[in-house]
Amino acid sequence: MAPSFLLLLLLLPLAGTLLLPLLPGADPVRVRSLAALAAAGQLLVGLLCWRQAPADLHLPWVPKLGLELELGLDGLSLPLVLLTALLTLVAILSAPADQSRPRLFFSLMLATNLGVMGAFLARNALLFVLAFELVLIPTTLLVAIWGRERRAGAAIRFLLFGAVSGLSLLAGVLAFGWLNAKGLGFGFDDLAQADLSPSAQRWILALLLLGFGLKLPIVPLHGWQPLTYGQAPTPVVMLLGGAVSKLGAYGLLRFGVGFLPDTWAAWSPWIAAAGALSAVYGALNAIAQSDIRRLMAYSSLGHMGLLVLALAAATPLSLQGAVAQILAHGLIVALLFACVGLIERRTGTTSIPELSGLLNPLRGLPFTLGMLLLALMAAAGIPGLAGFPAELLVFEGSWTVFPRATLVSLIASGFTAVYAVRLFNRVGFGRLDNDRAHWQSTRWSERAPALLLTLLVIGAGLWPTALTGWSEATTRSLALRSQPFLYASAPLTTAALTATPLTTVAVAPELLPS
Amino acid sequence: MTTPIAPVAEPTTTPLIPPSQHRWAEVIHRLEAGGSMLPDTPENLMQIIGIYKAYAVPMDFYWRDLLYIAEQVFLDPLPAFKYFPSQEYLDLPNSYAGDQSQLRIWRGGEKAHPELLEFMAKGETTQMPKLLHHLWHDRINMEFAEACMQAMLWHQNMGGRFNDYLASDAYRNNADRAIKAYFKRNPVMLGLYKLFPEMFLEKVKQLSYTANLGLFWEVMAPVFFEMSDIYDEGGFKGVPDAMDFLVNGIFAVAGRPIYHHAFIDGECFEIIPKSEGFTWLYEAALPYVEAVFYRTSPFRGTKSYNAQAGQVPADQADFHYGILYADVFPVGSAGIPPTLLMQDMLHFLPSYLKELYRKHERGEEDQLIQLGVTFQRSMYNVTSAVIQALRAALLYPLDDTDPEHLLANRRFFEAQMDRFLRPEARLGAIQSQDYR
Amino acid sequence: MATILETAQAAGCFSTLLTAVEVAGLRSALEGPGPFTVFAPVDDAFAALPPGTVQTLVDNPPQLARILKYHVLSGACLRADLTTQPEWTSLEGAPVAIRRSEPFEVKNSTVVQADIVCDNGIVHVINRVILPG
Repeated sequence: MAPSFLLLLLLLPLAGTLLLPLLPGADPVRVRSLAALAAAGQLLVGLLCWRQAPADLHLPWVPKLGLELELGLDGLSLPLVLLTALLTLVAILSAPADQSRPRLFFSLMLATNLGVMGAFLARNALLFVLAFELVLIPTTLLVAIWGRERRAGAAIRFLLFGAVSGLSLLAGVLAFGWLNAKGLGFGFDDLAQADLSPSAQRWILALLLLGFGLKLPIVPLHGWQPLTYGQAPTPVVMLLGGAVSKLGAYGLLRFGVGFLPDTWAAWSPWIAAAGALSAVYGALNAIAQSDIRRLMAYSSLGHMGLLVLALAAATPLSLQGAVAQILAHGLIVALLFACVGLIERRTGTTSIPELSGLLNPLRGLPFTLGMLLLALMAAAGIPGLAGFPAELLVFEGSWTVFPRATLVSLIASGFTAVYAVRLFNRVGFGRLDNDRAHWQSTRWSERAPALLLTLLVIGAGLWPTALTGWSEATTRSLALRSQPFLYASAPLTTAALTATPLTTVAVAPELLPS
Repeated sequence: MTTPIAPVAEPTTTPLIPPSQHRWAEVIHRLEAGGSMLPDTPENLMQIIGIYKAYAVPMDFYWRDLLYIAEQVFLDPLPAFKYFPSQEYLDLPNSYAGDQSQLRIWRGGEKAHPELLEFMAKGETTQMPKLLHHLWHDRINMEFAEACMQAMLWHQNMGGRFNDYLASDAYRNNADRAIKAYFKRNPVMLGLYKLFPEMFLEKVKQLSYTANLGLFWEVMAPVFFEMSDIYDEGGFKGVPDAMDFLVNGIFAVAGRPIYHHAFIDGECFEIIPKSEGFTWLYEAALPYVEAVFYRTSPFRGTKSYNAQAGQVPADQADFHYGILYADVFPVGSAGIPPTLLMQDMLHFLPSYLKELYRKHERGEEDQLIQLGVTFQRSMYNVTSAVIQALRAALLYPLDDTDPEHLLANRRFFEAQMDRFLRPEARLGAIQSQDYR
Repeated sequence: MATILETAQAAGCFSTLLTAVEVAGLRSALEGPGPFTVFAPVDDAFAALPPGTVQTLVDNPPQLARILKYHVLSGACLRADLTTQPEWTSLEGAPVAIRRSEPFEVKNSTVVQADIVCDNGIVHVINRVILPG
């Protein structure tokens, strides 16, 4: 397939970003439909690229700086591209029908999509940085303009953390290119074969860890996250938590594990420790929260911890787990916030003490709460839902390398059930407030985005290959450590795994671009 | 949308006693002026009459089946078919309706109501054998009626002599004869009776309350039908009219005997004979109102109560889980008796109520709750009627000129309103039309 | 002197009460030696009850007897005796309250004529049917 399809993936949101503000009417529903159309088109193109892989695109842009428009899809970026397109579509559809200033809002949503998409498609580090930086502008504006009461503080903090993240990333990438003994070059191929002194590698990895760690985020770099997730409008959080934060995960995998394997391996115990710490810290904080959004922010933090643990371990299985976790968490966090958004739209609050009895069959929000329950169960790693294969792979893949950190994360993951049950018990059961419960039930058009995510969460749980099959080959090639007992001793042990790495081998070629 | 609360009738002359300082002073003054606890608005009138009608139809089934259970099913150890009253009981002429009745003040016919028969034949689904209707739960929910009976059985001491009689030797002997006669061909059950006589006696007591409730509702059904008819003819001017109609009804049948007869092989066993002098008012109506409107017991499945933390009163008299206190919103949840009643009434709503519900809240989606709230309003009106009837029977006319008499009335009303001081009471909520 | 029932008969304003006593089968009892104290509601008192009330009771003698017995105390009690005690137990079993001595009030009725002494007891004429509870 022609490489222009890759360009189309970027042109669609770009066109949307530029054209939406020029629309004559400001009917929110119409603007939303147009924005959704752009996102849907992008998703469609993404799916086409999956069925038939397009060749890489290579256009010189500013050659003097080493900046080239190099786009490509591999097993790592393809699932993320699809996830981003899907979540953008779902997030846009989750916006209320009376969205204020719709043209600007949806334009910025598509601009965010453009940045994230560009970063995932980039085969050039500078292009990646550029796209990465681009994301910051629309997201900050989205938080600052449409956020809740404390949006100003949230936006400023988000911007500061984001700017530091971007700058350290830029510094890291520039250093990478400049210090490369083989000559200046920012293409991924150049970086992959770079020749760097060990101390340069350490400095660069430190900068990259800071940059991507802030984006994920990971303890102790998470300062912006609870506030932003608490204040940003729901569609924005869905995009932030589901797609934008995955830039960090992708970056760590691509740059850290991929381009700086030696230093990564050397530092991985510390990275694993940070992951485990995040998992525990996120889970414990989630238990203590009295606001659903903040609870979910901390929950998300905890799950990012698992992801980092898997990246640190860097075994074939754990890297597959990391990719699976990226996808599963993207779906789950988007679903969680879609449900929270519906609850907030109806009840006007996300404060846990103020809510109860929402499972009430006639006057509550039983459908939404049903989906919320499913999402919480998925987050808690209940088998049959998307969270389970991802977490199983993460733990299975990591424990041979970092048994202690894995054990700690495992326990932290158990806490997920604690806050999930606690949240659901408070919000779902109990007495429905007679004075407040006069809202209407959710309409199917409002439920549709969440319902789509629900089906995907169930589908990915029943057919985990959907989470792992994409990148099985890529992650195996990236793996820094082997797991002899898993891969050498033939089908016996592997066949027992629910995640079915053996079967994916058969499926993978189909999923992978040739 | 706020509907103004009906103003308290302004006394034209200087009042003989100072205004009440009670928290529900507004309601008390309304009661003293001959009003109801429910504000007098056209919508309230429409709501309560409509729901009386919807209540009366299933009630016409309840009382027939309750009597069938108490008199015919009796101690059947496997009463799988107790909700299938025989044709004889479906045709049983109502003692207070129809031309054969002793007291012809309500116009309805003595037979089962046509809407009831139609529903029994078709249900929500379609014509099919009644066993299938039963299993599909497309039927009148007798479980609700039994829950009311159990509330009466369980709370027991609520005035009247009924419960004392159940503890007497005379009752024990009557029950003993009936039990032995019922199981005369069943040595196993007779043996069990020898071993556990109290268990069988307790069961008969439950059946006596079943008869009691059946006889109570036999009267209420024609009263409610009559009210609906009068309203349809444009009869009632306001909520107080509807209440006064109920007060008169209560007096008219106050002396109706309450008894428990069991028919075993065609022979009538008078377990509680009519000659004991038990009356509808003292032994059925007042205990019913107390047990069902005020007390009942917490329903399973809606809220957890921790008895050790004092969340359930230690004293049964302080129980406050009846319709006057009920949170109607959980209606629709599984396993709570009011859901069953609301479901029953839903089938017989007059068109004007359906129309009303369609216009509010979630329209048809949450009709069960809306009609539950309506039911709550209507039961506040019935309770008002009971309070006014008691006031008329035991105290003084509202237009009495003796200040001491008026103060006695005031104390009585205030004592009644004290029961609505607890936060669960819905008296405050029903003052506003916004509570739906 | 006459018996309680004869006195009532002679007074002419107790026809409902007398019929009720007849129907309830209490006649022979009230003609017995007693002595009784009877609170006798006048015809107007019965007429003041809502329609149907009396008829239902008349249709059901045991229930009627119960209400009538509430109007009777055993023993002959003059007004002066009655006011010494706030409550008296009626033949029905429920207490009858003496609410006020001046004007003389029994339960929620006012005694229009007290202390009519008869052979087998004393009659107090009251203006309202009293009910237990």
